[in-house]
Amino acid sequence: MNRSLLPALGLAALPLLAILALGFVPLMVVVVWSFWSWDPVTYWIRPDMSLAAYVAILDAGRWTVILSTLAKALVTALLCLLIGWPTAYAVHFLAGRRLSLVLLALMTIPFFTSYLIRSFSWRLVLGRTGVINTLLIEAGLIAKPLDWLLFSDFAVVIGLVASYLPFATFPLILSMRRVDPVTMQAARDLGAGFWTMLRTVLVPLTFPGLFAGFLFVFVMVAGSSTEVQMLGGAGASIVTVMINDVMRVANYPLAFAISTVVLVVIFGLVLAGNARFGLARLFGEGGA
Amino acid sequence: MAISIQIETVTRAFGPVRAVDDVSLEIRAGEFFTLLGSSGCGKSTLLKLIGGFDAPTGGRIAFDGRDMAGIPANRRPVNTVFQSLGLFPHMTVAENVGYGLRLKGLRGAALSARIDSALEMVELGGFGPRDVNLLSGGQRQRVALARALVMEPGILLLDEPLTGLDERLRQQMRDEFGRLHKRTGATFILVTHNQDEALSLSDRMAVMHRGRLEQIDAPARFFEAPANAFVARFVGIDTLLTHQGVIREGDATHALIAGEKVPVRIGGPAEPAESVVALRPDRLLLHPHSEIELKNALALRLKVVETRYRGLHHDVTLAFADGQRVVVSLEADQPVPAPGDLVSVGLKPGGAMLISNAGLPAAA
Repeated sequence: MNRSLLPALGLAALPLLAILALGFVPLMVVVVWSFWSWDPVTYWIRPDMSLAAYVAILDAGRWTVILSTLAKALVTALLCLLIGWPTAYAVHFLAGRRLSLVLLALMTIPFFTSYLIRSFSWRLVLGRTGVINTLLIEAGLIAKPLDWLLFSDFAVVIGLVASYLPFATFPLILSMRRVDPVTMQAARDLGAGFWTMLRTVLVPLTFPGLFAGFLFVFVMVAGSSTEVQMLGGAGASIVTVMINDVMRVANYPLAFAISTVVLVVIFGLVLAGNARFGLARLFGEGGA
Repeated sequence: MAISIQIETVTRAFGPVRAVDDVSLEIRAGEFFTLLGSSGCGKSTLLKLIGGFDAPTGGRIAFDGRDMAGIPANRRPVNTVFQSLGLFPHMTVAENVGYGLRLKGLRGAALSARIDSALEMVELGGFGPRDVNLLSGGQRQRVALARALVMEPGILLLDEPLTGLDERLRQQMRDEFGRLHKRTGATFILVTHNQDEALSLSDRMAVMHRGRLEQIDAPARFFEAPANAFVARFVGIDTLLTHQGVIREGDATHALIAGEKVPVRIGGPAEPAESVVALRPDRLLLHPHSEIELKNALALRLKVVETRYRGLHHDVTLAFADGQRVVVSLEADQPVPAPGDLVSVGLKPGGAMLISNAGLPAAA
């Protein structure tokens, strides 16, 4: 280590300390406590080195909730990319400067209301007497209301996509801004039609944005609860809700074990994605 | 393989602005043609129209007589070397060069053979597996050239391809273009604002200004007979003098400038209505303190305003009696006249031309 690193270290000391104290330490506590044991009779936790909490995930069928959470996160993230990519394309390549600003502003409007209100509003749309059922009945397309619209996984995914779509769109816009439009012209020049150009040039060049958007949505869904509670069917659960339930009986080891599993999955995802797509390229040099 | 281009009364309007304004032009098959003009004159827009990246708002563009209206860029027998190259950053050199051929369905050994020979042609043999992002500016330029030439296009468009390269590389790549033009036999169209490039490469060239073609000719003709004041200035004939009248004596024509009778040649087919006299600096000969030359009919009597040392020569600024100026160069070893001296300037044939004053700012 040379001398000039010292002032830099001084400058970085505070944020480094904050990251360690506020981020890393609680996470370590979570991981460590997940190996402690919990007595259901006394609700007491003992420092221990047992896998009891992890076993409890398996035997009470809680793993299905974890799996269904990851599945919801996966489906929501993919849907968000599917909708967000063309949206980003339209905002960046098709709209003029003013229109694209307006579109960006419109995308942030949902953030002005709380998740609770936003999720609730979907009840009014998807419910038995909601907008969609009413319209379909009046149009004579269906005789009685569709039940599966609300209080179902379908409703949950709709609510999740609506909530987290901007988290996919914004990184995609960012990644498209980094694409030199002349590369697209060059592809056309060399004989590529529009779709071939997308497949061979624009989509590969927006991989960092696709991955970042995927990750953001995935993580947000894995930590969400409102949408499931407001729009899910009876008994529908998600990791956050389950953790909440377990915490009520002070079973911290189990709650932390569930958290640890989710944490490991997401962390693995980040590492794998970064190795493949180079997330840093979205912000730094080397992409262009 | 080379393709001829017919451009008939083509206009490209952006709202009220006509970037390309009623341009008609025939480019012969296999010709090296240059569109020369300053930035914003519409030359790049015209190139886009030929390439199919933009559609004209009026007029017609045809290749070998076949109308190209409605045929998109990807189905035209044209390839482009873009100003900013547009190399694919997620592909290697070979993948970049092979991109177009892959789309045509070429694979395997046939594909790599074509890629290799294209890379050889631009002297990048063995560079195939390299990352395009790690190449130097000149190498990237060559990759872009190879990527276009490997398609064996009937027409190659070069959009300011040398901008942004340093002077040495510029000259090197310029010579390269000439070599590749001979080798491929394709029609080359170069867009540039650099007259050196235009003059040294082109079979014919056009000077473009405000969306219009001011003159279409072989390079030498721009000096022998510039179409108007704008063209003359653009190719470096800076001395444009207003005159008080034109006198015809038999075959000879003289323009009257501040009392001097200057023999002029009429550049165009007819004498322009509103004309100026353009003096070619290379056909003016300064005779310091030479009494004999003063009697010569082909000499002008001018007063020295100032002299400036320029290394290999002196620039001597001379003034007519009415104050109009002309700069003549004088060999460095010649005695330098002092400001205020009267000197005579010999005029070689074709040194003064009577040309239209179109394109001259009103104040000048």
